[in-house]
Amino acid sequence: MTILGTAFGMVFYLLQVVSGESGYAQNGDLEDAELDDYSFSCYSQLEVNGSHHSLTCAFDDPDINSTNLELEICGALLEINCLNFSKLQEVYYIKTKKFLLIGDSEICVKLGEKSITCKKMNIVKIVKPEAPFNVSVIYREGANDFVVTFNTSHLQKKYVKNLMHDVAYRQEKDENNWMHVNLSGTKLTLLQRKLQDDAMYEIKVRSIPYSSDYFEGFWSEWSPSYHFRTPETKRAEEMDPVLLTISISSFFSVALLVVLACVLWKRRIKPIVWPSLPDHKKTLEQLCKKPRKNLNVSFNPESFLDCQIHKVDGIQSRDEMEGFLQESFPPQPEESEKQRLGGGVQGPNWSPEHTVITPETFRGESPLECPAGNGSACDVTILPSPRSPESGKNGPHVYQGLLLSPGTTNNILPPPFPLQSGILTLTPVAQGQPILTSLGPSPEEAYVTMSSFYQNQ
Amino acid sequence: MFHVSFRYIFGIPPLILVLLPVASSDCDIEGQDGKEYESVLMISIDELLDSMKEIGSNCLNNESNFFKKHLCDDNKEGTFLYRAARKLKQFRKMNNSDDFDHHLSMVSQGTLKLLSCASKEENKSLKEQKKQNGLCFLKRLIQKIKTCWNKILRGTKEH
Repeated sequence: MTILGTAFGMVFYLLQVVSGESGYAQNGDLEDAELDDYSFSCYSQLEVNGSHHSLTCAFDDPDINSTNLELEICGALLEINCLNFSKLQEVYYIKTKKFLLIGDSEICVKLGEKSITCKKMNIVKIVKPEAPFNVSVIYREGANDFVVTFNTSHLQKKYVKNLMHDVAYRQEKDENNWMHVNLSGTKLTLLQRKLQDDAMYEIKVRSIPYSSDYFEGFWSEWSPSYHFRTPETKRAEEMDPVLLTISISSFFSVALLVVLACVLWKRRIKPIVWPSLPDHKKTLEQLCKKPRKNLNVSFNPESFLDCQIHKVDGIQSRDEMEGFLQESFPPQPEESEKQRLGGGVQGPNWSPEHTVITPETFRGESPLECPAGNGSACDVTILPSPRSPESGKNGPHVYQGLLLSPGTTNNILPPPFPLQSGILTLTPVAQGQPILTSLGPSPEEAYVTMSSFYQNQ
Repeated sequence: MFHVSFRYIFGIPPLILVLLPVASSDCDIEGQDGKEYESVLMISIDELLDSMKEIGSNCLNNESNFFKKHLCDDNKEGTFLYRAARKLKQFRKMNNSDDFDHHLSMVSQGTLKLLSCASKEENKSLKEQKKQNGLCFLKRLIQKIKTCWNKILRGTKEH
């Protein structure tokens, strides 16, 4: 019985307690409903007005009737325990210097004296920076880029100094196609090639505290937008005509040079660039002196076709010449001598015929040597005899002046005539004095050429 | 053998009990990573020292009794900061500018906020120290607080 009674008593007791709980549950339901309805969110702004900070809260539900609701913050305050919010329309705010900025605070929604709901917050973790301002874009033509600059009031603040900025830009016709760039500084460079030409762009900036910093929080409001237009690409094309003109003029000048080179190649350019090897005969022709204007110096036999060649009467001339030679010269003409045939000097004893030195006559026994020593050149004047058998006629006399170079002074020249066939006149005469010589063994040969000298040698 | 065990039982434990308060710190320090100090406290300390630049040239070189008694010794940094912060509070509302008082409060209350000291100073000692009101002492006190905080953070970084 006792046990039964105790059991019943326990049951009734439990029922009472449960009913009491359910009675409280009414208030609990109300509280739960109020908690759901009275949820709020806050953000802080430090040094927003000099050294004063601000704290702004608002209910999440805009339809809530906040007429009699108050907000209060307690904890982490300087010299006081709690502060009441001021109300402006549906927004609650505080502006004060008395935030300690260390530790948590508690913000409660109060209906009269009763706290409906409370929320623990740290002021330094709900920081919302001030919006940037003075956004400007400058186009740099030389660098083909856009320099974006903006300003923020946090550069002069003591607490929230390190921010991360978000620069957003878009083409005005492309709605909701924003490009974002994050940076920690206040200067950004946009390349022109990454933007459309001749298009209108909109750009804006916002900030947030660095996550690794002591202060954390939310994005600031966007800065006022800045609008700019990208330049057209024609400016780049304007540079091309100048280059085009220069390239065309250079091309034509090169072509002109090529044409001139082809035209003047043989006449002017090749003799200088690739000179031809000199011909010894032609060179000698040029080097030989022309003693008189009427004299033709040539190795070409055909150039003397119109010359009258007088044949010398061998007997007469031989006698005269023998006498002349015996008086003046030894039989062996060893010494170097000059030999000249001059038709211009005619003595009274000279016959009008003149000797002609033929190539065959040069194969003599006694060599001749040109006088050396003074280094003067040998002057060998060969007088051709007229071809016509007529004697006495004074035909045109053609003299040949052959100038031997000093280098050949030591050369041994063949004798102009063989001693047996005629009189060989070798006189060491000075330059310009003619010497008459007798005919050689082949009177039909009209003249002597320089080449025969070389052949006999 | 009996004498040895008697010694160990009755000798060493009392010794430990006596030395334990000396070896252990009586204040726990929060924010030893330096974030609170560098972001909040150091700003106010520098503002106070900047405003007191001219003070110091006329100050006597005699060390105050407060600094003779309280030092930022090893394992005693928390205690020193606790006492220094409470001392700092006494200099508020002494015809200072609003900004000066504001920063004094920031340093003192911010420091106390970061300390969790088991034993609390009695008001009696505070009354005795209240008499020392010289700006020279104040400047010296702020400098000592800064030095002690730097010592704590340096020790934390080394570890």
